[in-house]
Amino acid sequence: MAEYAPVDLTVENQVEFELDGRKVTAPAGTMLADACYAHGVEIPIFCYEPRLGPPIGACRMCLVEVEGMRGLQTACSTPVAPDMVVRTTTDAVKEAQDGVLEVLLANHPLDCPVCDKGGECPLQDRTFKFGPGQSRFVEPKRHHPKPLELSDRIALDRERCIACFRCVRFSQEVAQDGELTMQARGALSEITTFSGDAYAGRFSGNVIDLCPVGALTSIPYRFVSRPWDVQNTPSICGLCPVGCNTELTVREGRTKRVTGRPDPNSAVEEGWLCDTGRWAYDASWSDDRITGAIVREATGDRVAGLEDAVDAAAALLRGRTVGILAGTGATVEEAGIAADLAAGALPGAIVARMGIPGGALAGLRALPGAQLGDIDDADVVVVVGGDPAAQQPIVELRLRKARRFGATVTGCGPRPHLIESLGAFTRTVPGALADGVAAVAQAIAGATLPVVLWDEADLAAEPAAAAALADAIAANDAARQIELGADVNGSGLRALGLPTADLVLDAVREGRVDALLLVHAEPLDAPGRTAWAAALQDFAGPVVAIATHPTATTERADLVLPALTMWEQDGTLVSMNGRVQRLRPGARGPEGAAAGWELLVALAHRLGAPPPYRTAAAAFRAVTAGHAAFAGITSDTAGILGVPLAAPAQVDGASAPAPAQGEGLPLVATREVYGGTHARRSASLASTAAEAAARIAPATAEAQWVRDGDRIVLRSPAGDSGLLTVRVEEGWPEGAVFAPLGAPGAPTEGALPPDMAPVLVQVVRVEAG
Amino acid sequence: MDADQIRAHLDPIRHEFADPRSLVMPALKFAQTEKGHLTREDMAAVAEATGYSPSFVESVASFYDRLYTRPVGNRVVSVCITLSCMLRGSDEVWEALCEHEGVDHHHGGTSADGRITIQEAQCLGYCDRGACIQVDAEETQGPFTPEEAVKLVEELREAPTPAELWR
Ligand code: SF4
Ligand code: SF4
Ligand code: FES
Ligand code: FES
Repeated sequence: MAEYAPVDLTVENQVEFELDGRKVTAPAGTMLADACYAHGVEIPIFCYEPRLGPPIGACRMCLVEVEGMRGLQTACSTPVAPDMVVRTTTDAVKEAQDGVLEVLLANHPLDCPVCDKGGECPLQDRTFKFGPGQSRFVEPKRHHPKPLELSDRIALDRERCIACFRCVRFSQEVAQDGELTMQARGALSEITTFSGDAYAGRFSGNVIDLCPVGALTSIPYRFVSRPWDVQNTPSICGLCPVGCNTELTVREGRTKRVTGRPDPNSAVEEGWLCDTGRWAYDASWSDDRITGAIVREATGDRVAGLEDAVDAAAALLRGRTVGILAGTGATVEEAGIAADLAAGALPGAIVARMGIPGGALAGLRALPGAQLGDIDDADVVVVVGGDPAAQQPIVELRLRKARRFGATVTGCGPRPHLIESLGAFTRTVPGALADGVAAVAQAIAGATLPVVLWDEADLAAEPAAAAALADAIAANDAARQIELGADVNGSGLRALGLPTADLVLDAVREGRVDALLLVHAEPLDAPGRTAWAAALQDFAGPVVAIATHPTATTERADLVLPALTMWEQDGTLVSMNGRVQRLRPGARGPEGAAAGWELLVALAHRLGAPPPYRTAAAAFRAVTAGHAAFAGITSDTAGILGVPLAAPAQVDGASAPAPAQGEGLPLVATREVYGGTHARRSASLASTAAEAAARIAPATAEAQWVRDGDRIVLRSPAGDSGLLTVRVEEGWPEGAVFAPLGAPGAPTEGALPPDMAPVLVQVVRVEAG
Repeated sequence: MDADQIRAHLDPIRHEFADPRSLVMPALKFAQTEKGHLTREDMAAVAEATGYSPSFVESVASFYDRLYTRPVGNRVVSVCITLSCMLRGSDEVWEALCEHEGVDHHHGGTSADGRITIQEAQCLGYCDRGACIQVDAEETQGPFTPEEAVKLVEELREAPTPAELWR
């Protein structure tokens, strides 16, 4: 159970002590509560939560007897000591447990029958197990109008709160958003934000998982289900390349809730989720979800059944030379089966992956890698480029923790971002990241155990900086690196050895392919969409798309096969730093849709070349065979927590981009996970949707003749962006334009080339603000 | 009150506080002198001046009975209702004051003319002089009979507040 810290009973330096008459051991420094749990003795706790930092001893639930110490001791804050004699079942302990629970329940409404936490509530469970059978409290209890909306997504039932301070500590110490506090005193204490404002955190949902009672609950999940009516499935989040481990709560074939794992993956997310990962699941039944196959005919669109649609797809593709594109979110199975088609069902097909070519990153990727959990042990953490808080959200919590543990956090990069407040950062001129690398090289060299996090997109765009950084890391034998990836399954696609999409783009332009099969690939919505749009303008061949939601790409397709989302399908994703992890199907998905890998298998059957696998696990084994990165890895070995790739996910030969093309200002693009695409497909997250804004510093805005609120287009050699709204803001570096990726209609993507090579843009005002 | 004013107040006394968190208290006390209570803006200014989050500052303000997060009368009269004073008749003092000021007998409150607020206090450490009363978080006085307490409040109603005296 997550609430107790894992205890390693095998490491050196064990302390021997006596627990209820048994001689047992635990590593020096282990808190009694954890040591007891490791030896099968549950000490009831409420406020203790090792992930929140040092224990605070607020609830007194964990009292035990320690021989020689006066009075009872709190097991959550008493470390084991040699020859300590601990008793957990004496009358004195029992009386204390009864007493504490009686006081905690004195003002508790005991409305378990209407409480979402009922059935999975530590207060309920521990009262049954450790509490008095009866309460002597007959006085009126406190009442509050209920519930209070702490935010759009979190409800607070104040009278249920037992004042354990877990949520406050999360907000103040872990997320450091400074939002939640306890106000007033005694029986009047209540959890609140400043003046009752909405709780504005990007990790706010974690307080729901943390609350040991039903005081903090999820509004989208309110009154939706009971723990005994659901199945919980361990899965992972596929919304960003971090790959946080999640648990899906499934009822009646639908994912009703996503929570952190009760047993956190300490190598990845440590049990925390960002709010996007927690609440985006309702996108799987958003109004625009593609629930049936769409056949585009001269007379209009026709919705088809799956069987017919796969037949139609086979008919469209049969006998043609097909360009196949795997999207950045396609699973290893989907991409691998698609690649297999070229060998059998669709001979001569050209298969490629969307995403950043990254040829310049080979040196960096070959260096010793680390897991996110390793950041805990680092003395120096260096962040090169990127904006982890926006692009790989959970990394922010890891870095804040490192800072709390006393590590030095430093770095460089072209964007201002939240992590910069944790240490000394060098702001680099776009295109001159190498200067920043020179500045951090010293920090890496002087550290005992440095971990370097580097941004895939930024370093791919600046080969000189990538080479310099690789040298700086290689110079310190203890240094390890973590790639801050741009794409959900970018590593998985590279590990399969798929080449970059320009191969297919060129083939389309030159007429070497006469059909396209897009597997979760959205070339008309991705960087380079202008080039793709031009290439597809005169493309006469059929376009078949496998997709879950409508995009400009599915609009262009002649046939859309409806696929399953990451909450519904089986599959494997490889996280940005090469961790192979399994998606497990929670929900069933719409009647008319099927998993992308199953659609591809069905297609191969129809094309007369049935592949020898029927399950995702077998497909994984087949498609990864022969790829060194996957050596020895199967769905079984990946297990519940995942395993690192056997070798770096690297492809050779991809070109390094030239210096920035065009005239004008450098364009710095950032993928905003919070408030981005997912926020627009999810009703629960709708209020977080960010506007498509081009951020420009004041003097630069003046020089470009634009004002706050103007609507502009950015013009680069790669094409025109869509409309962006100018936001003139202090604090952004002068001399560049900062714009989001993934905004509706993919505006910024229009001005970027397919390989995300750096561009200079001209600011063209379209409408005055 | 704005953050600069609060900083100016704190600067000379900063060195007296080993833990910078403790500065929140004098900052709040000072901010309160302006309007007699603390508004959202005052607390945000204290947060800015001390470097803590606004919600933390508000939690401190909400903890203390003499820091007011809602408007109060010009003079605040706190009546001790803890045991020793209660045995010496503080409940009658309380009743008399609430009656005289026309405020809620359970929770106290502010008189219609806005001059006087009656509120409960827990033991003020003046048990030997119960029933006792504290005015404006300053000195505690006692013992009081209900009549004497009413007389005190009448005097307070007329007298200028300390803040009025300073200006
Ligand atoms: S709301 Fe829940 S987590 Fe927060 S203090 Fe109360 S019981 Fe603890
Ligand atoms: S950080 Fe990324 S992987 Fe983790 S929950 Fe958020 S979106 Fe999902
Ligand atoms: S769990 Fe030990 S005091 Fe709360
Ligand atoms: S009980 Fe009133 S001062 Fe102590």
